[in-house]
This record gives sequence, structure tokens and C-alpha cells, in this order.
Amino acid sequence: MAEVLIRLLILLPIVTGSICLVVRKSEVRAGIVYLTAIFLIVSSIVLAQQWSLPLKYYAGPTSKWIVLVLSMVMLAYIVFVAAVDIRRRGVTLHSVLTIVVALAAAIPVAVFQFALAPEVPLVANPALYVDHFSLLRGILISVTCPLICVYAIRYMKNHEEHLTHLGELKRTRQPRFFFYMLVLIGAMNGVAFSDNLLWLAFFWGLTTLCAYALIRHDETPEAIAGAFRTLWICLIGNVGFSAAIILSWYSPLNTISLGALVSNGAVGYPVLLLPFALLCVAGITKAGQIPFHGWGIKAALVSPAPVHAILYPFMTTGVFIVLYVSPGFVGTQFATFLAIFGAASSLSLGLIAISQRGSISILVCSAISNLALIIVCAGIGTPLALTAGVMLVIFLTISMILLYLCAGVIEQHVRSNDVEDMEGLARKQPLLTGITMTAILSLLVAPFGILLSKWAAIQAAAVIGIWSSLVLALLMLSIGAATVFWAKWLGRILCQTPTSESARLEPFVPHYHGVLLTLVGFAVLSSVFIAPLYNAAIVPIIVGAGYDPILAFTTEAWFLRATGGVFAGWPIFIVVAIVLLIPFATMKVRPEATRPAFMCGENVEIGSDEFVAVGDERTPLMTGGFYIEGLLGEQRLDRFVIPAGVVLLGILFAMVAL
Amino acid sequence: MSSGWIIASVIIAVIVVPLVAGLLSGIDRKLTAHMQGRIGPPIIQPFYDIIKLLGKKPMVAGQAQLVFAWAFVGLTVTAVVLLALRQDLVLTLLVFFFGSVCLPLGALSVKSPYSQYGGHRELLQLLALEPILLLSAIPVSLKVGSFLIADIFAHGQPLLPSLWITFAVLLIPVALVMRKSPFDIAGSEHAHQELVRGVLTEYSGPYLALVEVGHWYAKIFVLSILGLFWVVGSLWWLSVIIALGGWFIVLIVDNVTSRLTWSWMVKFAWGCGITLITLNSVLIHLGWM
Repeated sequence: MAEVLIRLLILLPIVTGSICLVVRKSEVRAGIVYLTAIFLIVSSIVLAQQWSLPLKYYAGPTSKWIVLVLSMVMLAYIVFVAAVDIRRRGVTLHSVLTIVVALAAAIPVAVFQFALAPEVPLVANPALYVDHFSLLRGILISVTCPLICVYAIRYMKNHEEHLTHLGELKRTRQPRFFFYMLVLIGAMNGVAFSDNLLWLAFFWGLTTLCAYALIRHDETPEAIAGAFRTLWICLIGNVGFSAAIILSWYSPLNTISLGALVSNGAVGYPVLLLPFALLCVAGITKAGQIPFHGWGIKAALVSPAPVHAILYPFMTTGVFIVLYVSPGFVGTQFATFLAIFGAASSLSLGLIAISQRGSISILVCSAISNLALIIVCAGIGTPLALTAGVMLVIFLTISMILLYLCAGVIEQHVRSNDVEDMEGLARKQPLLTGITMTAILSLLVAPFGILLSKWAAIQAAAVIGIWSSLVLALLMLSIGAATVFWAKWLGRILCQTPTSESARLEPFVPHYHGVLLTLVGFAVLSSVFIAPLYNAAIVPIIVGAGYDPILAFTTEAWFLRATGGVFAGWPIFIVVAIVLLIPFATMKVRPEATRPAFMCGENVEIGSDEFVAVGDERTPLMTGGFYIEGLLGEQRLDRFVIPAGVVLLGILFAMVAL
Repeated sequence: MSSGWIIASVIIAVIVVPLVAGLLSGIDRKLTAHMQGRIGPPIIQPFYDIIKLLGKKPMVAGQAQLVFAWAFVGLTVTAVVLLALRQDLVLTLLVFFFGSVCLPLGALSVKSPYSQYGGHRELLQLLALEPILLLSAIPVSLKVGSFLIADIFAHGQPLLPSLWITFAVLLIPVALVMRKSPFDIAGSEHAHQELVRGVLTEYSGPYLALVEVGHWYAKIFVLSILGLFWVVGSLWWLSVIIALGGWFIVLIVDNVTSRLTWSWMVKFAWGCGITLITLNSVLIHLGWM
């Protein structure tokens, strides 16, 4: 049963996605998406109770040829796409790089498989290997991503109506859109469950291909350029995979099983450190870490919101692999510098986020900045750090997707994704504002899960020796930067002219508010009930990695107790309910108590945001946020961040060589 | 800790703290006035102010403003209580920051020129304050071996001799929480401020009193953090003296540097403050401190 479900989690979305590609009627397509969503969510719930792990699935002898042919077809298709682009739009840097990188990924594996070592016994390595960590990852994908698809049914309808209205769209592109969305879900599950590096590399490339197709969905010149940039940067990961496959096959272990690599580890087999480093680079490119952060930020400017929402789990795939293999290189100098790299990446993107005005751009920067913390956890490598990393994967997936989807609804409402244009949203869309506020707070403040994870990361980092001082300094600065950009955005949507009229709730749209409220429920409940969640879902992962869970957390009265501290979460949630939730629900402002804002006595009237200026003219008041572009602008910071990223990556590889 | 001691700590944290803070604030105003060649208000003037504000008719600019004022006070009190209960230092600081971010959020929720400016500058102030306070927990934990405040008490040796660098850097957040320098953010009673108490512009009457009392808790919170640098057994008065010493230094520094700007402050906090605390951690790792 469980084996069948696991395989269906990968295959079913790919099949139903292909059906979407040929269905022309939008109602039928929506029906297929609903059914897929229901199936994926129900199977996740069923699988969540299946704890007889690990599950292994061995593919037959022909599967080796299947996966090789599929990989080659996929990479050939990518070369073909880039060649078509060169014919249509002339030679561009991104399309040429795409071809170069795709060939660099394809040729070594092809030569290796067909010429050098045709007898690699693929059958001896399990194709799929499902332990508690990969199952958790699969469940997270299969619960949240279908919600994005349900949301997208409504979103893409509105999106295309708007484009048709502008005359930019002749024929619907939705079949293609849902095809790639669903295939991406299947491919991400494939990455989570694969053990054989050949399968893993195939699914890895497939996610990149889907991301590329989704980013270029609107077919504007910027979208196409952004898509190719994503394509070649993320394909670097596949080059890393190809090299890792060959290196680990010729290592003393003679294996291409990820699980075997991790369980043997680089301490016993120093020769494995290079394959691990290559896998980490694959993760770093996909997660958009420095110096590769350009693709995420550029993609943020061009595509529809559901694409960004699903790109978040796509990026998480990158750090998932890094965290998954981290027990393999724990205790090496490489690990220490990986933590420093992650902390530097987190701070850089946190600072860039302060200068961003687009909601999606802010979200992408913060996503990268937060994902970098997972890399820090992977580098620290203690049981507590692993726990913090897994918690970050869980909580960030929920909160970030929620916020991307909120940004999409806001964008369709105000027809702009500039945060400055969102002023006064609290009056026009109180429900949406409340949801967005909860989402932002869940990323910004303790006792919500993300700050709990950061707290755990701090506790874990404090004990790893002298380099921890540097990691922690960068980490704290990045936490400080996050406060500024989140609070600034929240301030803009809350900002409104004082008026005695009370706001009315907007109409409830099930595809939007239903999905958003479900995710809010996940975000809040998972944070409040973190202690049972930890015991049920995270302890098995710690045990599976070969650690004693007592070294991570013990739970006492639902407090999380680490060796160096205690996180008293639920009492603070009670305080938050008393001082924030209940007042918002019950506090009323009497109309006669309302006063206009202070404008040196030159106000025009209550409820108006005009003031009397020179010559008794009525002048509208305009307010705005701080962006400090002179100091923290993306282009200015990139001058430092990109070289720093390159140098840090260089140091990482130097640590491998030592 | 016994349950009696817990109840006593909570009562002290909630009731005694604002009384002490109000008095301290009065002394601050008196001393500053003398330094500037004025007579200054009576020492219990802050209490008169609060009583007067509480008697005023409530006037507001929106619901969010009230809720965030309430949340600011509630969460700051919670942070003080967590400190009194000797909980985890990092968690306590995170709760304190949650309270601190509510104040600018309240200011930003009103479309008002002064309040918007004040709110944004308050956020930049947090950008300087948050990393320093959080990072200061690290050398402490290296020395004590734990982030629990209870373990600082159990440590048995004063922290100041090995952590004097961190202590000195902590005076920056103390100055910021006391709403002193830099003048273009400050919200103190001084004349040297640019934006008529920016972040508080839209608060009046009882709600201003509420925010003011919240500030008192916040001040005592940061001063208590200073006090943690000398807790040895029964000599509790030594930590009070340490905290008051830090407070007095801030007072003097503020009066001689009344024309600082926020950009200078953020750069100074990030450049100097973070570097020095990191240096302190490194020296502890090397066994030199």
C-alpha cells in the first residue's frame, strides 16, 4: 500500500498534468486539478500514519536504460529550447550558457554509462528510498503544492482575463501552465524519494525544466530572459550531480546510492567529501544562494504569483538535499565553512530585501535569506542543528507559500506589486490584511515556529567552537534586517487615513481566502503544537540520522528543552492572544473619538488626507516607506555580494582539497 | 525556584518595576536639567504626567494604533516577567523585540506624516538594537555554559571582568531604549529631537500614558540585562549598582552627543558594536578572557 502510494505521489501528478495539457475545456481541467489535489492530500494523510520506514523500492534491470534515456531526452530538449531561442532572438549570453551547461551535464554521464562502465549494477541500489525525512518532505510538498494549484485555478482565470483585456493574449496558456505545475509537484516528490543518484539527477533536472517553463509563462521578453537565467544556473546543479555520480562510483564504495554515501560519511571515506561538496553546490544553485541569487530576484519581476509560490518549494529542494546529506560530512572543516557561507548568504539577501519595493521581490530575497539558515544548520551538523533545519523546512514552507499567495491576491486587487501601492489595504480588504499580517508575524516574531527554529539554530551554533562567533554575528544581523523589511511592508498595508467609518469585510472567495485560511491554520497550529509535532515527526528523523534525540530537545510540559536553554512557547502564545488577537477582534473605536492625523493644524477635514498648503490650496498627503537604495540597493550590494559568494565557494572547495 | 518565589518575582516585575522606572525617569530629567543649567521638574513629575494623561478624553486615529499600543505594553511586560522568572535569555530577548516592533507598527498604521517618519526611524533603530542585544547573549552563554538566566545566577562568578567589552557595547541599546540619542529618533523629554517624538505623534491621553508606561518597563528590562553582568549570591545590590552605573554613563554620553543621526547610529552599532562583541566571544574561545 505505502509503496504504491509513494510511487503514485510521483507519477500521478505527472499523468494528470499531461491530461491537462490536452484538455481544452477549463471546467474539466479544473476538475482534474481538484481530483489530483484531493488525491495527493489524502495520500499524504494516509502516509503520515505509515511509520514502518524506511521503504525501499528496487527498479528492474531495464530501469537503468529508462532513466538514462529520459535524462538524455530531457537535456537534449533543453539544448533544443535554447537553440530555438537563439534562432528567434539571436545569440544571448543566457541561451548560450544554457547549451554549454546542459552539455556539460549530459556528456560525462553518457560517456560514463555507455562507454566506461556499462555494467554499473543499478539494480543493486534502490531507486527510491523513503526514510522519515524524505517522507516528511514529500508530505509537505503534497499538501501545500496542491493548494497552490487550487488557488491558481481562480488566479490564472483572472490573470488571463486581464491580459485578454489588455490585448496581450490571444489563446489560453492554461493547459501548459497546469501541466508544468503538476509535473513539478511529481518531480519534487521524485527528488525527495529518490536514492539512486541517476534518478535523483533526472528529477532534479525535471524540476528545473518545469521552473523554467513556468517562469516564461507570460512570454514577455523579460520573462524569457529570466527563464533562461534560471535554467542555466539551476542546471549547474546537474553538472554537479554528473560529477558526483562518477566520483562516487569510482570511490572505494562503488555505489551511486545517496543513502550509502551519507551513512558511510566523509570522516571514514575522505574521498567522499568532493561528491558531497558537489551535491551542496547543486543545492546552493537551486536555492538561489549567493553568488547565484540573481535568478530568483530577476524571476520575481516577471511571472504570475502561483509560479512564485511553487518556486518556493522548488528552491527548498536545494537546501533539502544539503540538509539531507549533512550527516555525511559532519565534523569536517568543510561543514564549518558551509555554515559561514550560509550565514553570509542569509545576511546579504536580508540586506538586499530592505531596498526592494516589489512584494514578490521582498519575498524572494527573504526566502533565500531564510533558506540560507537551513544551510547554516546543515553546516553546524549537531542533532539540535538538524532539528532546527527540519523545523525551518516545515515552517518556512507553510508561511512563505502563504505569503506568496497573499501577495498574489493583493496584486490582483491593487493591480501592482509595489508595496507602496498597498497603502490602505486594511480598509479595503480587512480579511486579506489580517491573513497577511498573521503570515508576516509568523515569519517575524517569536513564539512562532520560524523564530523557534532560529532560536534553536542559535543554541546549536553557540557550541561549535571559535568559528561560531562569526556565524552567529552574521546570523543576528540577518535577523535584525528581517525585522526591518517585514515590519515596513506590514506598516504599508496597515497604513490608513483616520476616519470614523468602520471597515467592512470583503466578499469571501473560496479559491483565495479558503486556501489562505487553511495555510494560516497550518502555520499557527504547527507553531502552537510544536512539542507533539516534534515528538511525532522530527524525533524519528534525528534517530534515523544516527543521533540521540535527547541531544536535540526534550519536551516537558510542552516546553522544548535543549541542553542550553528552554523555549516556553505556549505561554507566550496565550499572551499574544490576549494582547493582539482578542483586541483586534473586540476593541472598537467610537466614531466620536476619532481624530484626524496631526498636520500642524492644517488639516482639511476628518476622514480626508489632504492639508492646506501654500495659497490655501488643498494638497493630498503622501507617505511612503524607507528603502535606503543608496546604501542597500541590489546593484550596489551585488558589487560586494557576488565576489564574496565566489570567494566563499572557493574556500569551500579549498576545504575539500585540504 | 519555589512557587512562592515565582509569584513574588512576577509581582515585583509587574508592579514594582514601573514605580522604580518612573522614579528613575524623574531623576534622569533632574540630572539632565542640572547638566544643562536648568532647575528641572520635580522627581515625581513622570507620575504626575501619567496621572494627568489618564484623566484626558480618549482620542484615536484608528483601531490598529490602539491594539499595537496594547501589544507593545503587554509583550514588554511579558519580557520583564520572563526575565524575573530567569527563563531563557534569547527567548526573553525575542519576546522583547516582538513588543518593540509593535510600537512602530502602531505608528505606521496611521497615515500621518510625523508618525510615518517616526515609525520608519524606529525600525532603523531596531535594526541597530536587535543584533547587539541578541549577540550579547553569546559571550554570556560561552562563560556560563547555558542561555538560561537561572544559570547566570547559579554561575557564582561575576561576568563583568571577562565580558566588559560586551557590557560597554550594551550601552548602545540602553541609550536607544531610553529614547536618548540620536536626536532625529529620540523620543525623550529633551529639547533635542527632530520629529516631535515622531513615533508617538498620534498617541494622546490615556493611550499615550499606556505607551509611556510600556517604555518604563522597556527601560528596566535593558537595565536588568546590564545588571546580569554582576550577579553573585546574596550581593544583589552590586548588580543594581552595575545597572545604575551603566545608566549614568548613558546619561552623560547622551548629553555630550546630542546631534547624532540614525545612519551614523546604525553604522556604529553594526561596525563597532557587533565587531567588539564578536571579538569578546573569540577571546573567550581562545581562553584569554
